[in-house]
Amino acid sequence: MPPSDLVLTARSISRRFAYRPVLTDVSLTLSRGEVLLLVGPNGAGKTTLLRVLAGLLRPSAGTVHLSAAIGMVAHDAMLYPALSARENLRFFARLHGVRDRGRVDALLTQVDLLKRGDDRVGTFSRGMLQRVAIARALLHEPGLLLFDEPLSGLDAAASRTLVALLTEFRARGTAMVLVSHELERLGRVATHMARLAAGRLGSLEPLTGRDPAAVFATLMQDT
Amino acid sequence: MSTLRAAWHIAVKDIAIEWRTKTAFASGLVFAVLVLAVLFFSRDPTEVSSLAIAPGALWVTFTFAAMLGLNRAFLLEREMRAMDGILLTPAPRAAIFWGKFGANLAFVGAIEAISLPLFVLFYNVPIWPRLTELLLVIAMATVAFVAVGTLLSAMVVRTRYAELMLPLLLLPFLVPPLVGGVQLTASLLDGRHLSDISGWLKLIGAFDVASVTLAAVLFQVVLDE
Repeated sequence: MPPSDLVLTARSISRRFAYRPVLTDVSLTLSRGEVLLLVGPNGAGKTTLLRVLAGLLRPSAGTVHLSAAIGMVAHDAMLYPALSARENLRFFARLHGVRDRGRVDALLTQVDLLKRGDDRVGTFSRGMLQRVAIARALLHEPGLLLFDEPLSGLDAAASRTLVALLTEFRARGTAMVLVSHELERLGRVATHMARLAAGRLGSLEPLTGRDPAAVFATLMQDT
Repeated sequence: MSTLRAAWHIAVKDIAIEWRTKTAFASGLVFAVLVLAVLFFSRDPTEVSSLAIAPGALWVTFTFAAMLGLNRAFLLEREMRAMDGILLTPAPRAAIFWGKFGANLAFVGAIEAISLPLFVLFYNVPIWPRLTELLLVIAMATVAFVAVGTLLSAMVVRTRYAELMLPLLLLPFLVPPLVGGVQLTASLLDGRHLSDISGWLKLIGAFDVASVTLAAVLFQVVLDE
């Protein structure tokens, strides 16, 4: 892969909370179109890694270099409950400098919430919030997408739609990091899988043409 | 995206949320009416004139009513971690301070705009001949405590007892503008000219410059932490 295709370069990232190390010497590179499925037990540091990569947390050591705009969907929707879905998206679109007025409605259509666009997100179910959060993350057409449990709270139909959407993004060259335990569904989207355990990242295993469950089993044996 | 434009969007969003929910505004207003009424009726009218307690009552009302709004400024960012959503945009971080500062000024200004006529109604004080000067004093003191309040509100929002912490941290910083505001209001209501009491005005002016500058600079550090 030519260096110009590199979207994310993280070198020797460590992060401590007080004296507790949460991430230790994590290095990671992602190029256009590469999708990393990050797995690991609870408390392994997966969310912290995503927040460091997104620039929401400063690493205690190491560097993160991004050469693309970033979009993120986390556990929390990063929305204002008192505003409608449309108002939330318009607000974030303005801060992203997105001038296309039709972009918000196009995204609401994409996440199947156009009819509920004027309802306050405070009245939305977990799955609907997740869909608005996904639309928020896509507003500025980022080159790198970070997802923390992207299928969490989504029903079967919404999950299928999201998986299809992620596959489309991958085809367009969007790099992604997906933190999830959904090996079956997201394993089909991902190009690589890695395991984070006790703050240390294992090797990135290619997934193309391989059974995600078998790769996961290999990763478990290695760590 | 320019800082000014991003700050404008953030301020408009905050005002829209408050306009829709009216949580802080309603509680601030009820609080203002209560304080004005309680202080007015707690005095013995044969011993203490309303003019004697009016300046103190006005500034106690403004300060504590404003604190309800300052508390709310970052709590609304906490509920669904919406602040992270802002930090993920290319908007300059300074814009968050200026946006919050602008929205807080609008909120406190609205509370003051409604409280002032109520103050006149309760205390029957002759503010009209000195209205312009009094408004200048109110505006100057308000800028000071909104600047410090915006910074401290961002600092305490992630603590467990944010709503308790803010007054505890903020009140010591408010002593200079608050004392200045009371002194200037008392002097104006007493018929003295502003030039006779310019020392207090200069103090509040200096505090304004220092507090706005420091708050804007330190806010970025608070965000990083």
